[in-house]
Amino acid sequence: MSASSVSRAAMSNVLRPYLAAVRSTLTAALTLENFASQVVERHNKPEVEVQTSLEVLLNPLTISRNENERVFIEPSVNSVRVSIKIKQADEIERILAHKFTRFMTQRAESFIVLRRKPVPGYDISFLITNTHAETMLKHKIVDFIIQFMEEVDKEISEMKLSLNARARIVAESYLTAFNA
Amino acid sequence: MDAFRKIDIDQYDEDRLDASELYEADPRDPAAVLDEAKQRQAAVRSTLARSDIPGALAIVLENAPYGPNVDDAKDVTLQTLLSILNSTKSTEITPAIKALTPDAQDTLMKYLYKGMALPGWGDISGSVLLGWHEKLTEVAGVGCIVRTMTDRRIV
Repeated sequence: MSASSVSRAAMSNVLRPYLAAVRSTLTAALTLENFASQVVERHNKPEVEVQTSLEVLLNPLTISRNENERVFIEPSVNSVRVSIKIKQADEIERILAHKFTRFMTQRAESFIVLRRKPVPGYDISFLITNTHAETMLKHKIVDFIIQFMEEVDKEISEMKLSLNARARIVAESYLTAFNA
Repeated sequence: MDAFRKIDIDQYDEDRLDASELYEADPRDPAAVLDEAKQRQAAVRSTLARSDIPGALAIVLENAPYGPNVDDAKDVTLQTLLSILNSTKSTEITPAIKALTPDAQDTLMKYLYKGMALPGWGDISGSVLLGWHEKLTEVAGVGCIVRTMTDRRIV
């Protein structure tokens, strides 16, 4: 077993209770039905977004590992909004996370459940409506969110490593000009 | 745009639904609820000294304060509960949860989510709450989370 796969296994062990909590909460929240707006006739909107009728909004739940890593799940009768705060340990990770989420949200329609704008205080949001739950398999949607959360940390730390390596090479080749 | 166009006219509707109409209000006086929470805190301390985790949980989860105006009592109850959770060994969690009534399990789930939603965290680590959450879901199932989401009596 290589060093990187060992560290990855250790990381997923640390992450596991967090992801398990997100998985069970999402499974509970994804009980959606077709529900027309009670305010505007012949409209059908995600109730969690319009927030007009109190009785169809359920209590929002937060799952957090620490202050910098949390998931906010807002359920309602016909839609669920899932917001993720990605771990950002330093300035580089903050920039990388911002670029990464920006790249994703600009292509939101390819991801179907991705929301174009994150909820304030979070880095990326998903909006799952009853149509999504009907056309796609519910457990696969949950799997997708969980997999995204697993991958995004890995992706950002890999980008950070390659960024540092590249900076080192650039600095080296730049400074050799003065060595000659 | 003229200011009058932005007035939310639905708020003057006679059939308007208030947040307080969604659940039965707590008939107790806020001061009495706070007193009770403090008494319970003391009772939990003595129960914890005998390391009786299920007993302490049953005390704190019974008649938990809910609704508006009782924020102090809610804070006291949350701190009491967190002190129990912190002093439980991981092997004792599952038997302690199994000893609870289904209602107490639901209340415990509410407090776990409330603890995780705390902005400042204080003296509790996320892994403790996540460990409890996982074991409680194993015992009580996803239905327990659904009841947390749908119950308007927010702790």
